[in-house]
Amino acid sequence: MASEEENGEFYLRYYVGHKGKFGHEFLEFEFRPDGKLRYANNSNYKNDTIIRKEVYLTPAVLRECRRIISESEIMKEDDNNWPEPDRVGRQELEIVMGNEHISFTTSKIGSLVDVQSSADPEGLRIFYYLVQDLKCFVFSLISLHFKIKPI
Amino acid sequence: MQGSAADGEALDFEPEDDDLMDEDGAPDADASPPHPKLKSAITAAAATSSAAAPKKTKGRGFRQDTDANRNTRLSGSDFDSLTTEGGPGPQRSIEGWIILVTGVHEEAQEDDLQNAFGEYGEIKNLHLNLDRRTGFVKGYALIEYERAEEARNAIENLNGSELLTQTIYVDWAFSSGPINESIRRKNARPPRERRSRSPRRRY
Repeated sequence: MASEEENGEFYLRYYVGHKGKFGHEFLEFEFRPDGKLRYANNSNYKNDTIIRKEVYLTPAVLRECRRIISESEIMKEDDNNWPEPDRVGRQELEIVMGNEHISFTTSKIGSLVDVQSSADPEGLRIFYYLVQDLKCFVFSLISLHFKIKPI
Repeated sequence: MQGSAADGEALDFEPEDDDLMDEDGAPDADASPPHPKLKSAITAAAATSSAAAPKKTKGRGFRQDTDANRNTRLSGSDFDSLTTEGGPGPQRSIEGWIILVTGVHEEAQEDDLQNAFGEYGEIKNLHLNLDRRTGFVKGYALIEYERAEEARNAIENLNGSELLTQTIYVDWAFSSGPINESIRRKNARPPRERRSRSPRRRY
């Protein structure tokens, strides 16, 4: 039986970045429904090249990504009470899964102290850890496939 | 599910009747969320390809002003990739072949994976990532072999096997082409040849 959970629509995009002395520096990646993983990292510090990589993933990898998201329960959260993006930076997390579509934005989160002192520590903590787990997953995929150090 | 229920009498259905089967009777299947921030092809395509009810949307991202750069950051065509010609299949990485292991026990150690997967060839790389909150294994591992044959053997022999009391699943990580291509085509609306043919002219 093909459950919505496993085979329904899926899209994910994460962005973190800021505009400053070195221009617009950011990291962004997306998982597309057809399996394409796109990764872009623009750091103008020292070397001013943008890294852009893309590769098709198997359904197995997409399923694992969905599992990580489902188990985080991020889709139940809301960014209403999260810190607004500011000069220091902005994060965006957009996910389409099943019949839900979230597009959250917040500031950069330096550490758990920022999470703890926010107006929605529980929700923000879920976001904070999910983002780290996703980055970790993507960095492994990109670095193994292309043999680069993603950061 | 809709397909199997209707299969028997599929011939009696006009494609348009599909919409009537939506349980919540969404008036406009293509209604998109109020001006979503992301205007990329992906979401636009996702929104229209779904014949289901409109999505529940949530988040400031739908309300805030769009960053002018937003649509161009990931939309360029100058992304590096290793993809080669030919039909979809496993995709070789720069130095070898990567497989994904899922269902990995949260207390698994690298040695456990080495022991199981080392049987099929020398493991060039092993990523056993941790859950950032708990510090336990997140549940997956990425393993690199030099030769496709080694990776294939590991997949064939270890997919569905047991590791530390849990069933693990093993598959290729990278593909040479998009997935779902054929599935999508199958789910696309059939051409309406039967219906649009006009009745034979009577004399």
